[in-house]
Amino acid sequence: MFKLDLYKLITTSVALVLSSTLLYGGSDTSTLPGKYVSKMGAVDGGVTYPRKNGIYTAYRYNEQSTKGVNFGRLPTANELKAWDVDIMPDGTGLPDGEGSVSEGDELYEKQCSSCHGEFGAGGKGYPTLTGGNQEKLPNGVIKTLTNQRIEPGMEAPKRTIGTYWPKASTLIWYIRDAMPYAHPKSLSNNEIYAITAYLLAQDAIVIDGVEMDDEYVLNKEKLMKIKMPNENGFYPNIDGPNGVENVRKFFSDRAKNIGSGTRCMKDCKDLSTKGNEPTVMKIDNEITDVVPPYTTVRDLPPEIESKLESKAEKMYNDACKLCHGSDKMGAPVVGDIEAWNKVTQKGFEKVVHNAIDGMGGMPPKGGFENFTNSEVQMIVEFMINSSKKKQ
Amino acid sequence: MDKAFKTEELNSLSRRDFFKKTASVSAVAAAAILSPSSLFADDENIVHHTQWGTTLGNELNENPYGLPSKYEHNVVRRTSSLMSSAGDMHAAVSMTPLHELEGIITPNGLHFTRTHNGIAQIDPNKYRLMIHGLVEKPIVLTLEQLKRYPSESRIHFLECPSNGAGEWKGPQFNSLQFLKGMMSASEWSGVRLKTILDELGLKPTAKWMLAEGSDGSEMGRSVPVEKALDDAMIVWAQNGEALRPEQGYPVRLLLPGWEANLCVKWLKRLEFSDKPWYAKEETSKYTALMPSGKAIQHFYALEVNSVITSPCPEKPWSDLVGGELVEIEGLAWSGHGTITNVDISLDGGKNWVEAKLKGLVLPKSWTRFSYMHKYVKEPLLLQSRAVDDSKNVQPTVNQEKAIMGVEGVYHRNSICTWEVTLKGEVNNVQVRSI
Ligand code: HEC
Ligand code: HEC
Repeated sequence: MFKLDLYKLITTSVALVLSSTLLYGGSDTSTLPGKYVSKMGAVDGGVTYPRKNGIYTAYRYNEQSTKGVNFGRLPTANELKAWDVDIMPDGTGLPDGEGSVSEGDELYEKQCSSCHGEFGAGGKGYPTLTGGNQEKLPNGVIKTLTNQRIEPGMEAPKRTIGTYWPKASTLIWYIRDAMPYAHPKSLSNNEIYAITAYLLAQDAIVIDGVEMDDEYVLNKEKLMKIKMPNENGFYPNIDGPNGVENVRKFFSDRAKNIGSGTRCMKDCKDLSTKGNEPTVMKIDNEITDVVPPYTTVRDLPPEIESKLESKAEKMYNDACKLCHGSDKMGAPVVGDIEAWNKVTQKGFEKVVHNAIDGMGGMPPKGGFENFTNSEVQMIVEFMINSSKKKQ
Repeated sequence: MDKAFKTEELNSLSRRDFFKKTASVSAVAAAAILSPSSLFADDENIVHHTQWGTTLGNELNENPYGLPSKYEHNVVRRTSSLMSSAGDMHAAVSMTPLHELEGIITPNGLHFTRTHNGIAQIDPNKYRLMIHGLVEKPIVLTLEQLKRYPSESRIHFLECPSNGAGEWKGPQFNSLQFLKGMMSASEWSGVRLKTILDELGLKPTAKWMLAEGSDGSEMGRSVPVEKALDDAMIVWAQNGEALRPEQGYPVRLLLPGWEANLCVKWLKRLEFSDKPWYAKEETSKYTALMPSGKAIQHFYALEVNSVITSPCPEKPWSDLVGGELVEIEGLAWSGHGTITNVDISLDGGKNWVEAKLKGLVLPKSWTRFSYMHKYVKEPLLLQSRAVDDSKNVQPTVNQEKAIMGVEGVYHRNSICTWEVTLKGEVNNVQVRSI
């Protein structure tokens, strides 16, 4: 072949296709690089491209039959049982078990509140789980979800379990698989129901007309009866036999439903109301808290710190950083010189002792019982050394 | 300090001086540049031997897995504690340094990363993929078995739908990396999902597919079967090598053009059903709250979008003196199809000229555009506006805001504006009504 040049590859191959099958649109533009035959109407509002005669847009593909390529094996019944445990709104996959609001309260306090705050109300930098005002407008929409912070000081819409989540099944599923954060999949089914009951009770969810008091016991049957306050707060409607078609219809009118631009070239007027013409908005409070700091300099990296501390540092990163990396947990933050000055005033021995035995919000050995005492000592040395004034 | 490095430093310093000197000479002198000139000071990098030219270099396989030049150590992903939970870097995002990239491929070590429960470290020997539900023949596969399927390779971008989410109410970061760095692009290799499904026999009642990850967050998302049968892929390689752990090693789902969150990493299971699932990441998160108080769910494709990458706040024009012919360059992309046009405005969107596309123009991929600009020392408001073959035109901030409001978090694709100051500095601003 003459030249290994993509433009030619496409033009020649499309030309070949044209002469043999006439399937490709004959317009000249379809033979320009980057112009592909396409079809509107994909479920996402976009186009799809045909795969024909070994050509798919700019790509060639192997058109030989793949029928009969067959690797892998059937899963066993136990394998399916172990992995097919997703939970759907109709109750499919809900585990057996039960737990009360008050049991949940205790578990939540121990395993969740350090990140998600008392009662799930947040305030620690991690997601807020509960709270928010569920009051509805006449059209059934939760009023505070219409909040738009277009001016400083306006209140944000609160997207909590009670104000936002459409399905209770999601909560059970997510807590079972993904929480508590550092030890996902460690809760028993009863514990999951108890914690879920506790969180729903904080948001005053009513189940089948019954309010959830401390003694309320949640189980599979009751969970399936829950109607979440914002159940109807989402669109397009994905449920039922027309679900996918509803999505397709919604995204086919993007100009109306999600907004689109116009290709004006001269003297363009931006969409605006009178007296509210567009202006140049500059950065008000620049966010500069980035790691590593901005720079495009080409120079040699600073000498890498001595490798001696690397084992301790790794253990610190794995076991302690979650709490000691920021001040959200009330732990002395590594790197905070003042905080660690205060800690070390007690004397090194005492501090190591506290790290091993625990104190206040500090679990013994940070919750890693398998660490030896000397390992903990190593980590504490690392934490102290990393929190000294640099010479 | 090594002598060679000193000269290197001087070199970068002297660049500016060099331009200053060039500018100060008259047009007559500029013509004289063609014959040896006595107008400039000698550059010692030319008139003296260099350190690296007079010593034996390093052994060739010093780094069996190659590394960038040490001088490139500042070309890295960056994080901000404000884009995380409480500064916790297990559920956070790192941003690609778009200002340092060339072409339409992101080096694997610079691919942006969003994790919901840290980066899972998967032993490939213990990796299993299960495909089941409404299929005639469910299967489990080891990694080796999966890789036996015939492979295809495609160049696609991946973008987090939160890219630029901090800017709905106004500009916040004076940086391209933080304005648009929640995206990257790679050549992905793996098997087309349809190739496997044809063999397993999808039942006619199958309308939805659950994709589930095996990391601690057990990320789950519902996908319409139509996408699974169109261009969806199960991929195990990225730019010619195994996926990086950050990108889902050993296997992830790739739904070209769709939210990167839907392209589930550390993929464990695909299940087919007649109903969607309502996972946490398609209810509580990744739904866009609209001014009506209702939220768009199942918001799949990333809309047509573009940004100028040169100049940008990190790579300004402050070394230019005026009079230079300089390239305005950028990236355009669309999850709905292929970029067809990009327009450039120098005056904040009042007047536009068409830029040229360059390089490969591929569907659901980054596309480079270019516009040659005669630089005059004057303030500018640079914008780019992309159009795709599904008839999308990138909206202005006002056009997008009129429908989406400012609380939607996800899928922000309005036109970006760089303010170029008199000195050639570049700032992130927005042209908008309140
Ligand atoms: C060490 C901190 C930590 C602890 C402890 C923790 N979580 Fe979380 N939780 C997180 C983080 C981080 C996220 C967000 C994860 C992400 O980015 O997807 C989260 C998300 C959640 C969410 C979803 C919130 C939303 O708005 O989408 C729920 C529900 C939740 N956690 C429940 C729990 C429960 C119940 C427990 C106790 C059993 C718990 N968490 C313990 C850190 C924690
Ligand atoms: C669950 C959160 C958490 C984890 C994990 C954790 N810490 Fe702490 N740590 C704390 C808190 C809270 C304090 C402050 C306690 C106080 O002042 O009452 C603390 C205090 C300390 C102190 C200071 C003790 C003193 O005498 O003032 C040391 C030393 C320490 N931690 C070491 C460690 C080490 C080592 C690890 C990892 C092996 C670790 N921590 C893991 C929460 C944690």
